[in-house]
Amino acid sequence: MNKTFISFILFVGGLLVFHYGIFPIFMPKEPTLFLNRYVCFLLMAAYLIIVNLTLRLKPPISLNALMVWCLGFYFYKFVLFPPVPWTLFITYMMLWSIGTFLYISQDAETFREFRKPIVKVIVGEYKLARLVIFALLPFLVGFGTYTAIYPKFEEPVELRTVHPAPPATTKVHGKSYVLETARNPFRIDEQDNYQDKFPFLDADKYPYMKNVTEGGTVFFQNCHYCHGDQLNGLGMFSHVFNPTPANFIDPGTIAMLRESFLFWRVSKGGPGLPNESTPWSSAMPPWEEHLNTEEIWKVILFEYWYTGWHPRTFDTEESYVGQWEKEGKPAGAH
Amino acid sequence: MESKYFNYSNIKWGAMFNTQTRKAIKWLLPGAMALMFGMSSNAFAVPADPVKTELLDKGKQVYYKRCVWCHGVEGGGDGPAADRLFTRPRNFIQGTFKIRFTDSGELPREQDLIDTVKNGLPGSAMPAWGEFLKEDEIIAVVQFVKTLVQDRDFNDADEEVAIQDFGSNPWNTTGPHHLGIPQEAIDQGKEVFLKNKCFECHGGEGRGDGNPTMKDDWGFPIVAADWQQCWNFRGSRRDPYNPFNIVRTVSTGLNGTPMPNFKDQITVEDRWKLAAFVNSLCPRKNIDKLTNKPVPDFLISSEYTEGKVAETIDDPMWQSTDHDPKFIPRSEETKDNPRWNYIAMAGQITRGKRNFDPKVDNLWVASRWSAEDNAVYYLLEYHLRFLSTNPEYPDAVAMQWPAHLQDLFGAEKPYFIFGDSKKPVDVWQANFLAKDYNPTAPPKPDGYQLDVKVHEYNGNGFDALKDKETAPTVQVVDSIFKQGRVKVLIKRSLQTENKETDVQIPSEQFIPVSFMQWAGQDKEKDEHMAISTWYYTILKPALPQSLYYMPPIMAVVFFTFQGWLVWMTKRTRKMYDEGKVKRDIIPK
Repeated sequence: MNKTFISFILFVGGLLVFHYGIFPIFMPKEPTLFLNRYVCFLLMAAYLIIVNLTLRLKPPISLNALMVWCLGFYFYKFVLFPPVPWTLFITYMMLWSIGTFLYISQDAETFREFRKPIVKVIVGEYKLARLVIFALLPFLVGFGTYTAIYPKFEEPVELRTVHPAPPATTKVHGKSYVLETARNPFRIDEQDNYQDKFPFLDADKYPYMKNVTEGGTVFFQNCHYCHGDQLNGLGMFSHVFNPTPANFIDPGTIAMLRESFLFWRVSKGGPGLPNESTPWSSAMPPWEEHLNTEEIWKVILFEYWYTGWHPRTFDTEESYVGQWEKEGKPAGAH
Repeated sequence: MESKYFNYSNIKWGAMFNTQTRKAIKWLLPGAMALMFGMSSNAFAVPADPVKTELLDKGKQVYYKRCVWCHGVEGGGDGPAADRLFTRPRNFIQGTFKIRFTDSGELPREQDLIDTVKNGLPGSAMPAWGEFLKEDEIIAVVQFVKTLVQDRDFNDADEEVAIQDFGSNPWNTTGPHHLGIPQEAIDQGKEVFLKNKCFECHGGEGRGDGNPTMKDDWGFPIVAADWQQCWNFRGSRRDPYNPFNIVRTVSTGLNGTPMPNFKDQITVEDRWKLAAFVNSLCPRKNIDKLTNKPVPDFLISSEYTEGKVAETIDDPMWQSTDHDPKFIPRSEETKDNPRWNYIAMAGQITRGKRNFDPKVDNLWVASRWSAEDNAVYYLLEYHLRFLSTNPEYPDAVAMQWPAHLQDLFGAEKPYFIFGDSKKPVDVWQANFLAKDYNPTAPPKPDGYQLDVKVHEYNGNGFDALKDKETAPTVQVVDSIFKQGRVKVLIKRSLQTENKETDVQIPSEQFIPVSFMQWAGQDKEKDEHMAISTWYYTILKPALPQSLYYMPPIMAVVFFTFQGWLVWMTKRTRKMYDEGKVKRDIIPK
């Protein structure tokens, strides 16, 4: 009994020391091979095993079970990163609890040993424990009932498709464009040759930079309010709208899209989206109402020049839409 | 030029030093002498940080890729974006920089410019570049910006700057919310505020509603800061609740604007108290680190109210602070009042006549409903420095609802700007002019009564608005414009007779709602407005009776179960002991 108590104290104390003292050390800004949260967790488990073995504490199976269960809880709650949503957490803990139960019920002997302290509490051999537990549990049940009945209203979760499947063709300013074959008429040269050239200053020297300058002018008169001066979707109005404006720096947006897809999105804006992309709350204007076709292509050219991304191209004959539907996203996306 | 600082015998020595060392000598000597003679001063003068010419190539590269769009090819603040921005981008040519550690009218330190580039100027279009550009790129672009200053010269030895002494935070408060400043200091800060007449520009309650006629150095209109929206302070350095920022601004003034410095009028200790007062006005909210604005409260709960809801704004039922109760708990009397929800607003820049410079940045909305009244109430509040006096362009604020809730499937909603052809919206718009109002009159502590006209209409698109022909159902029961803040209390019955055009409001259901606002002084009208995205509102039910009897019942049931468990276990033990049953063998 005394040894059990020592083991229990070492467990609780060790957990506290690791959680508040050692865990922060293992969380540098840039985790390394040794200095990371998982290594810290392994060390914590090793500490428990070693301390129980070297001191020959031989904790009873019920305490073993408690320690194993708590370690699992600690791992899923605090160690695992990024944190899992609570539904997944409950699922994991359920599996972990079943595992712990399998461990204690591996044979009749261990199971009886596990039951022993519980039975002793119930029949009253541990008087104080029974008093405390039997008085506390009904309170907890009452409190649980209260929180369960108390009406709670949380904001409904809404999901939306960020890059919907585009139509085969789109009609802008009276002209029809086949998205699969449409090309940016202003992409007259290899973009990388112009990364270090200056807009405005070099506009007269290079036709490409003239297009970039004109596209940038359109961007900074119309688009930066939402998509931001850095094209990162953090413009001065961005916090107002939901869905939030697209971040072009992110490898998941224009870097994995074709210019013709952008042309369609820019021209038709929010109202041109299918229902799964919540067209009713997108603040993206149908730019065909404000810009001419050339301005739309130039602003697309500018976005790629500014971010350094290249538009996606397809070497295969396979149709863009077909590819999309088969794989859920364009092949080779980051 | 240096010769006038070095006498004849020194010239040989002078030629041996490079310019920088000479400058150091020039400035160290008087400094050392001041120390020797025990002179004390709040500030010490040093030369302006010279341009690091070796970084100019890189700086130019960054400037013409990232900055030129707003600040212009020659740094005149006239890039392509400039005309559609309010506040306009900085014109570098005169060397006028707002956020500095140096005295009024002086050039900034290099570090001031670096901090401005890194943190941006919140509340304007200038973003924070600290996470976007690399450190060396930021330093380089600052050097290039210095060369764009034409009227002054950072390399000129005559350009001395006096770096101000700001003292240190006497209460050692910490971010993000800087709570725990004693009320006494705040009250003393208010005395400083009154004594120095800060209200002449910033208004009686600090909403920047003091003076409608101010211009900046270039003749463009400018407004005083709204202290109750500290996240929009240009000099907030993405740390909006830190009183240091205010001490700095009060000590140095804002070059190019009517904001002077008060370093001689107000002692450093009093400046910290003033800062404590100014900061106490700003609602403590959860600030989004990316956008540097409060996180919007996307769910507006309408609180169930026993009996009738008070129809006057002054009633205790409608009192609260804007603070998030998580950070500053509410007082005992207002504890059960509804939450004041922060609704972010932006210019309508999507359809038709776009609004690039909205005057209103956010609304605060609280709501109650009553089954006895069969009505729901929304209190809409927003800061607006000056109201319109032109009956053709009244001020207005509106709530927009889907007209046919029953037709919406799942998350579906009407288009957020006046609906669409398939899904109409129901708009409740309050148009108003203040009575006996003159924007240039001194602050009026009692505020102005509003002459409100409610306009109800349906929208099937921004170009398809239709006035309702049925009897009006929406009432504005109380309203006021006071110290730069509009308050409008809207009432409507939950159901109406005309189910075709009026939204029918159920309880316990999430209902989409959005907000619109028009500033008459800016001639905003129709789709030229400020707008929010769709929010949700829900009429919360009364607390169920079962909340009071179910928990004890469950506790008693569980207690009985425990008793049964004890009895069973004891009985089993007895059976073991009497040998009726063998352990771990299931009885046949």
